[in-house]
Amino acid sequence: MNEKQLLIYFLSQFDLAANKVEEILSELDEDFSFSKLCSVKLDKIVSSAAAEKILSLASKEYAKIYLENLKELGIKLICKLDEAFPEKLLPLEESPFFLFYKGDLSLLKMPSIAIVGSRMPSAYGRMVSERFARELAQNGVAIISGLAYGVDSIAHRAALECGGKTIAVLGSGLNNIYPAQHSDLAREIAEKGLLLSEYCPSSSATKYSFPARNRIIAGLSDGVLITEASLKSGTLYTRDFALDYGKDVYAVPGNIDNPKSALPNEIICSGQGMGVSSSKAILENLHIENCQKQKTNLQLSFEEDIVVKLLETGAKELEEIEKKSNLPINILSSCLTMLEIRGIISRMPGGLFCLK
Amino acid sequence: MLAKVVSFGLKGVDGYKIDIETDVSNGLPHFEIVGLADTAIKESKERVRSAIKNSAFEYPIKRITVNLAPADMKKEGAVYDLGIAIAILSCNEENGIKNEKDFAYLGELSFDGTVKKIKGVMPLLISARNLGFKKFIVPEQNCQEASFISGIEVYGVKSLTQTVKFLKGEEEILPVKPCKFEDISAKQNYQLDFSHVKGQKMAKRALEIAAAGGHNLLMIGPPGSGKSMLAKCFPTILPDLTFEEALEVTKIHSIAGELDLKQGIVCTRPFRSPHHTASTVSLTGGGSNSKPGEISLAHNGVLFLDEFPEYTRHTIETLRQPLEDGVITVARSNATITYPANFTLIASMNPCPCGNYGSKDRECKCSPAQIAKYLSKLSGPIMDRIDIHIEVENVTYSQLKSQVEEESSSVIKARVDKARAIQLERFINDKIFSNSKMSAIQTKKYCNLDSEGELLLKNAFERLKLSARAHDRLLRVARTIADLEGEQNILARHIAEAISYRSLDRKYF
Repeated sequence: MNEKQLLIYFLSQFDLAANKVEEILSELDEDFSFSKLCSVKLDKIVSSAAAEKILSLASKEYAKIYLENLKELGIKLICKLDEAFPEKLLPLEESPFFLFYKGDLSLLKMPSIAIVGSRMPSAYGRMVSERFARELAQNGVAIISGLAYGVDSIAHRAALECGGKTIAVLGSGLNNIYPAQHSDLAREIAEKGLLLSEYCPSSSATKYSFPARNRIIAGLSDGVLITEASLKSGTLYTRDFALDYGKDVYAVPGNIDNPKSALPNEIICSGQGMGVSSSKAILENLHIENCQKQKTNLQLSFEEDIVVKLLETGAKELEEIEKKSNLPINILSSCLTMLEIRGIISRMPGGLFCLK
Repeated sequence: MLAKVVSFGLKGVDGYKIDIETDVSNGLPHFEIVGLADTAIKESKERVRSAIKNSAFEYPIKRITVNLAPADMKKEGAVYDLGIAIAILSCNEENGIKNEKDFAYLGELSFDGTVKKIKGVMPLLISARNLGFKKFIVPEQNCQEASFISGIEVYGVKSLTQTVKFLKGEEEILPVKPCKFEDISAKQNYQLDFSHVKGQKMAKRALEIAAAGGHNLLMIGPPGSGKSMLAKCFPTILPDLTFEEALEVTKIHSIAGELDLKQGIVCTRPFRSPHHTASTVSLTGGGSNSKPGEISLAHNGVLFLDEFPEYTRHTIETLRQPLEDGVITVARSNATITYPANFTLIASMNPCPCGNYGSKDRECKCSPAQIAKYLSKLSGPIMDRIDIHIEVENVTYSQLKSQVEEESSSVIKARVDKARAIQLERFINDKIFSNSKMSAIQTKKYCNLDSEGELLLKNAFERLKLSARAHDRLLRVARTIADLEGEQNILARHIAEAISYRSLDRKYF
């Protein structure tokens, strides 16, 4: 690694805005040495605290140690000047200068849809987020989201469960997963998908980092799907960025009285985006042929058939299924578990069952 | 003049012999009780003096010393009043009491000489009988309790005067007639019945399984979904108490002073529901005057902990030993006491602090972190001891008003009894009585799966992301489900049903 690369990568640890980094680099005047960096009047470009920190650490040896540490953490780093930097981000005005990542960077070349929404979705929101994520992932679409509670994590999990690909963009450093409860999920995504962040690994999340990472989510995707979000949700940022960047915005219509469906409904009513009731329309827009398996060849027992037929008319609670199917409760619960294991139905908190 | 009579004291749930030695000698009038007596006993000199005087006996104006032997055991309560009074009276030959040594005495005295009821008669008499004592004088109010113990003669007395007359042979008192447990227990009725609970099929089925296999159970559901009602009905489907079990229960209730003295014995399975502000000691038992706690009062019955996560973490964790061993050992500075505590735990909780998480029509206002914190109160080791978790849904109005006949408790109980009989036969050489108590080795021995079941279990673990600790629990519950059906082998459908009772292992919480 030459001194230029070393110097540029060295700058990644200060969480500087992309334009600041560019400014510093242009001040160097093609002389990418640490001695030159020390002579630049940094405090005119960045805050004096940051300038002091850069100056105190600026040395070739330290830069090597820093990169060595990153390697030990299993975190890889690319910058805007590298060839591998995602092309989709380059044209953006606020494109990040550095990207830290774990996992497979080539996923960025796949067609991708961002699925975002409320951190506390209703049962309906859970159901549709899961369904869209699964159907899209099964058809070779990478699911992008932000690893947050609610819709984000549901989308990631659904994609992973069916063996699809998923990309998580974090609002914190890769070594400081927020929310911490999703550390396991993050580990799994790093193994089977891609985990991305523009922040240095030890950075913690701030109030501003989440709206900021939403621009990367919007930028990286070919379209943004909003399943459920209220009018005050952070999802608004993702929608705005997506509209700014000229990406397709999709929204799942919901009950007009449900405050959590307010944002998708507004998007549909105002014509900002397209209302979708199944993944088919999105796949068509992405020019992907729907190769979803047909459910007709399923072998169902007599009881299972009754249950599946009932659920075809919508999600139901156990009591209702019991009443309408007239099956004894022990047979019914074993039958529901069997169907769940076979991946035909899914069970949601509150004892609600629905077809996948 | 020296007199010696016998009484009994309690240590834990067992009694031990106490000699009341009384010496009346010349000297300045004085009354002293020695032998590690607590305040209630120290004060008994006032009661004894007044009772003797007001029963028109002569109180010796001499130096009286009472020793309660063995002197190194701390003694509590007012049980020894009657014994002390009789000992003092028999020191005076004029009173003409000669056969005071034939009896053991239990009873508290009132100032007017009345003999008042005491706590713990049942355990005291049982221990005394086992130590070889035959004849007892107890307060009349406690007679019913004594009537269930065979092989002893118990005489109930109303007053000190009557006791003395009886001892002198001037008045005849008939020994207490033995009572038959079956006669009393047959009359017993629970006030609740499962037929009063509308809907909730899933929960009822889970409770049936819990009753059949002795499994602990956790109900998760929004407020007002009927969790407490279901739990209160649970004892009605448990097998009847056997006489031996009833004696164990009665002993504990007698010590705690919670026994219905008219009936004298507990013949329904106890149902205890301490409030979540209950202190740890009130649950486990102990304290300076060691008393059985709520979990011991629930022995052979049901301990219902409503709003489970609201109990302090420390309190919940203390349930670990009793859930495992069926006893609780309380160590205090003056004694280490073991109380039986073999209960079925029924716990209930909301899915989140506001209670609406997962609800179809009500919005949950809790943040994910709040929910995680709420659920984290239940530690792994405690969850390990709860075999069945179920979600209880809200009951709709139409279900509430439905005219459909629900199954009654007696019908369910018949099935439970049958399943229990199968288990008793299976564990005849294993020293356990129910599937829930199977050890890992026994689980391996008795819960064989066919290849279909094995495959299902494997798929379930992969697809449903069950936690590893669920494995043995699942098998035990599946064993019970198979027993309920009278099936010798655990079939795939039993496993599948058992899996549906593991909602907390799912990742969606």
